[in-house]
Amino acid sequence: MHFNVKALPIAISIALVPAAAFADEATDAKVAKLEQQVQALQAQQTKSLTEKFNFNGFISGAYISSDNDAGYNGASSSADFSQDSKIGFQGTFNISNQTQAVLQLMMKGENDWDVEAEWAYLSHRFDNGTKIRGGKLRVPLFMYSDYLDVGYAQPFARPPTEVYDQVPFSSYTGGDISYDFEFEDSTLTLQGFGGESTVPNSDLDLSNIMGANVSWTDLTWTFRAVYGQTDLDGEANGLMIDNEQAVFNGLGGSFDNGSIIAVAEWTTVEIDGLLSDHESGYLTVGYRIKSFTPYATIAYVKTTDDDVRSNLPPQLALPLSLGLNEKRTAYSLGLRWDAIDNVAIKFDLTYATDFGDTHGGLDTNPVINPFTKQFQFDDTLVYTVKFDAVF
Amino acid sequence: MKKLLSVFALSLGVAFTASAGVVVIGNNAAGDMSMSDAKKAFLGKGDNSLVVYELDEGNGTRSEFHSTVTGKSDAQLKAFWSKQVFTGKGNPPATVASAAAMKAAVASNPNAIGYIDEADVDGTVKVILKP
Repeated sequence: MHFNVKALPIAISIALVPAAAFADEATDAKVAKLEQQVQALQAQQTKSLTEKFNFNGFISGAYISSDNDAGYNGASSSADFSQDSKIGFQGTFNISNQTQAVLQLMMKGENDWDVEAEWAYLSHRFDNGTKIRGGKLRVPLFMYSDYLDVGYAQPFARPPTEVYDQVPFSSYTGGDISYDFEFEDSTLTLQGFGGESTVPNSDLDLSNIMGANVSWTDLTWTFRAVYGQTDLDGEANGLMIDNEQAVFNGLGGSFDNGSIIAVAEWTTVEIDGLLSDHESGYLTVGYRIKSFTPYATIAYVKTTDDDVRSNLPPQLALPLSLGLNEKRTAYSLGLRWDAIDNVAIKFDLTYATDFGDTHGGLDTNPVINPFTKQFQFDDTLVYTVKFDAVF
Repeated sequence: MKKLLSVFALSLGVAFTASAGVVVIGNNAAGDMSMSDAKKAFLGKGDNSLVVYELDEGNGTRSEFHSTVTGKSDAQLKAFWSKQVFTGKGNPPATVASAAAMKAAVASNPNAIGYIDEADVDGTVKVILKP
């Protein structure tokens, strides 16, 4: 039998360790075990409460200014602090493991800080995984629709207005049904929705809202396709709208591997009658370097039915073309800085140009000469400094 | 006491290091877990019978765990959960303050999972994934 060399130092060290150390160790172990038990009890106690109710909030404050008064995103040559400033509170009450009630209240600077409910719904997940929700919901047309106001969860200072401003409402009253297909490394989600809404600050009612979307994600790549339709009734841009239909189509994709971010969306809106049809899209790319994420965005929007208006009798063709035709390309350079826990600071410089013979989608851009279709501004530069926080 | 222990350890000829790498732990009754299931579980997807525990924000083991398993930095994880929370899709897992509390929480519930540094593993819990 070989003599075990490794056993020798053990024997020596055991011999050297004073008996007191073992006593210490026994006490330490006892204390540690008691601590564990206390922590387990505390955890159980707080769990029953936190599992029932969650309260969260988010806040954004923005400074926006422009080199002129074209009115891009409400910006003017004087400083604006209300356009993109907002605060939201959300309460989630878990009625059971499968049923919950969610209420999100928002106050936005652009709406004079009036309190409005963006989410107010009851949801239930059936045993087979199907989830239904009813109440006031976000209309899920865009990739960022569900968390449109939660700047902290977005890479940019604001979702590109070229795309996101083409649908003038963000929530509806109704219901949706969704199902997640779980694959080994990815999830496919199908969602169908329906309900009614109104366009805020207008005389336009939306009824028979119906739509569906499909999205797939492996948490690095995300792909999404959406269809939506609604009936419009009321008045818009001085036109009487009598039950005309609007159809929305959208495609989106994103990539985020931790350092490189890329997001792109492409959407179309087609409305019966004289109201303008739009096509729009954007691409954002960013790169994370520790707490800094510089990004660049290119976005465009254009009306696709200008001929419908130009073929009208001249007394209609001219004002409608001037008012509704739209063309714009915007280039943004920005930086997200995750300055401290739960707070991101964003800097953004957006240059919008290429308006053609339109106001560039800026209703506040005055006509200089209606016959040559000349407007006062043919470009604009917008500066934004913004903080986004969650709590 | 700690010094004494490390002297003891060295004399055993065994190389203990302060951090041995993070491992996913489950109840002693739990089976092994795949990397993709762990990624889903800690991002609130997949099997919703699981009770997931995280270490408190700012804990180094937490950051190490997420950079290996979910591929998300602290800020990205925060942004991810704010998106989930404010769309009503889910809430981040409950947090515990220490490896000891993590072990206690996981040991007390057969459906619980968590993560700790491998050096903190003891008989009360089972390593179900070494990422």
